[in-house]
Amino acid sequence: MSTLLVLIVLAVVIVIAWLIASFNGLVSLRNRVQNAWSEIDVQLKRRHDLIPNLLESVRSYMQHERSIFESVTQARAQAISAGNNVLARSLAETALSSALGSLLAVVENYPQVRATENMLLLQEQLTSTENRIAFARQFYNDEVMKFNTMQSTFPRNLVASTLGFSPAALFTATETDRTNVQVKV
Amino acid sequence: MTISESAHANAISARFLPRDRESFFDAQRRNRRATWRMSLFCLLSVLVMGIPLALITTPLLYGLALIIADIINSFSPLPAAFWQFSSDLAHLGLIAIGWLLQQKPADPQVLAVGLAVMLLPGVLLSLVLWFGIKLMFQRSGVGGALLALKAREPNQGDLKELQLADVVQEMAIASGFPAPTVMLVDSAGANAAALGTSPDDARFVVSRRLIDDLNRDEIEAVLAHLIASIGNGDLHIAFRMTAVLESCGLLVAFINSPFGPQSRRVLWRIFRYGFRASIGKDNAQEAAVIAKLLSRGSNLETDDIDNFFDSGRRSSLRSIRNFLFFPIFFTNTAIKLCLWFFSMTTLGPAMALLWRTRVYLADASAVELTRNPDGLASALQKLSYEPGEIPGGDWAAHLFFVNPKSAHHGAPDARQRKLIAQAWNTSQNGATAAPISGGITEFYKLQPEFAGTVKAALAGDAQAAERLRTTYHTLQSSDPALAAELPNPDDFLAAARLRDPEALARLMAAHKHALLQKDATQPTKGPSSQPDSSSSHAGLISLHPSIERRLKRLARMGAHFEATKSKSGVIPLVLVLILSPLILLALGLLILLVSIMTMASLVFLVIWLAAIHKVFALLPHTVAG
Repeated sequence: MSTLLVLIVLAVVIVIAWLIASFNGLVSLRNRVQNAWSEIDVQLKRRHDLIPNLLESVRSYMQHERSIFESVTQARAQAISAGNNVLARSLAETALSSALGSLLAVVENYPQVRATENMLLLQEQLTSTENRIAFARQFYNDEVMKFNTMQSTFPRNLVASTLGFSPAALFTATETDRTNVQVKV
Repeated sequence: MTISESAHANAISARFLPRDRESFFDAQRRNRRATWRMSLFCLLSVLVMGIPLALITTPLLYGLALIIADIINSFSPLPAAFWQFSSDLAHLGLIAIGWLLQQKPADPQVLAVGLAVMLLPGVLLSLVLWFGIKLMFQRSGVGGALLALKAREPNQGDLKELQLADVVQEMAIASGFPAPTVMLVDSAGANAAALGTSPDDARFVVSRRLIDDLNRDEIEAVLAHLIASIGNGDLHIAFRMTAVLESCGLLVAFINSPFGPQSRRVLWRIFRYGFRASIGKDNAQEAAVIAKLLSRGSNLETDDIDNFFDSGRRSSLRSIRNFLFFPIFFTNTAIKLCLWFFSMTTLGPAMALLWRTRVYLADASAVELTRNPDGLASALQKLSYEPGEIPGGDWAAHLFFVNPKSAHHGAPDARQRKLIAQAWNTSQNGATAAPISGGITEFYKLQPEFAGTVKAALAGDAQAAERLRTTYHTLQSSDPALAAELPNPDDFLAAARLRDPEALARLMAAHKHALLQKDATQPTKGPSSQPDSSSSHAGLISLHPSIERRLKRLARMGAHFEATKSKSGVIPLVLVLILSPLILLALGLLILLVSIMTMASLVFLVIWLAAIHKVFALLPHTVAG
């Protein structure tokens, strides 16, 4: 009888230890997901800060392209005010990316702007910023994938929702982007 | 933007790839399993090497203890229990030796204790040396290495160097890892490395030529590989491997120290360095020097003991001294032979194979970070055409992205490529030719055309010869130094077709002159004068996998590149098959030699120590039994 008792106690101890370990694992992954999100935030804010510099350096050469400047400034203001809602934020930031893209396409038509050293360095900064945002998004999505996988595999899926964890959202392409891709293909 | 466009292109092309494509996650899993296998192999090799070494060094240690005990005894007698204990140990040791040498049967328990007595001190000594070396080099950090390489900070005003700093930050974000500092080296070689003993003191070293020759995607792939190797813990593994080699060198230095000033100097430097309180710039450089000396010491080169024994003067005193020290000489040779044999055949190849799996793993992780296998593939292809040597980096050759010992000395750099390509183009199309870029792939695409023209000229085609001449003269007017390195087409054709001896003489003279000029202007040397001190080879196998193998694995992960014709490996394989019985015979003989020398050294040492002990016992002092 006593060996049975010992075995039961042992089993209960093992289950409790596993619960603690799973909880800790899920907590640390959730923290990594939040960390990755804040990294994206940092890079997006960096882009916000770089844009006024870019506009200043090209404004003097391109007096007639007022509409482009307006759209970029407006998109930037909207992105700053979008806050932390993932969907609204990603929509606003994608709009800002496309506005910047059209601005740079217009700059291509002004050779005297394109070749200045200032412009080259700024373009490098912009390219790097876009890359950093892309890689931050990639890292965030990878961490979200690990977090969601850990929650939904057996046997953790039995206890995950009870312990208070829910799957995180991926930073995916927005509605407009998806429709665009469909039209192209 | 470029990233989304190229990713889009990749996504579309992914639909048309062959079905046996491997994702980078699978590749990583495969390589991690391979690492476990190779680590086991390394551990086994160390054990196999350790047994003869322990058998040789243990008697030395016991002898040293015995001599010290005898000296102490002659001043104040040691208790009888001590002598009883030591004679018990000797008895156990004799049982073990008897079992080893003559297969005398012995009680298993007693035998086990006897073997432990014989092996443990040597094993403990090796472990202590290894840990000591690790501690010492961990303290020094990576500053000395950077000084030896003459690395500098990137210049934020230069576009390419700013790009490099940006790419490092991007890769740090992609991997979730803090970005190491990146330093630049202005050298003739195109290479990059991650130096350091742990992720905390890791530094990137990139050569200026690499960022000149590669475009942004390729630099990104190279840096992704480096940061992935840091994240995968390759620095720890590399550090442990070099610590093993250096502790072997330290052991040899210890053995040599009674005989030679050189080893004593090395030991003194280490001693002084180990006890220094502060860590400054001199310390770091000192550590790098010590590392180089120690990794050289484990090779079979002429050294102190040979000088000791082969000195010219033959006096009777020297003969007596040689006779007295003969067992130590024998032990020394046995240790070095043992080390050389095992590092050539088992430990070296084990470490090389282990390191190769780490390189493949870093490649797969780089693809995971950049999601773009093409970048890494084209970077490897371009770098395979370039020299990879960075002066001052010999001892860390295994930490570089491509093998620094690749045989492309004197390949033209970007500016030279542009001039040569332009000259070639104008000879065909006249002065109105389109501008040519200095890109590597475009340059080497011209090679078949060039080879065809040379062949035609040799066969007698006047137009081809004229084209060669025009190219040469155009080049002479734009860069005479570069033109001087190439053979004059007139002389070349005359020497080859008409066997004109004067033309040949002129060619040789011009070539020699060009070489001298090159040596005078370039401060860096060509191939290093001490190939043994480089860490690009461990035993007979190179630590770096060949670029073809890496490209093949990248192709499985989805890279697209133009496959170059691979050299057929049939002939070497046939040779190996024919020679393998001979090789096996040689290996067997060497193993026999190592075991004979181990046993003989044991016997010699025991006799020698017994004699010394007897001498002490005969001295008229108070002695307890």
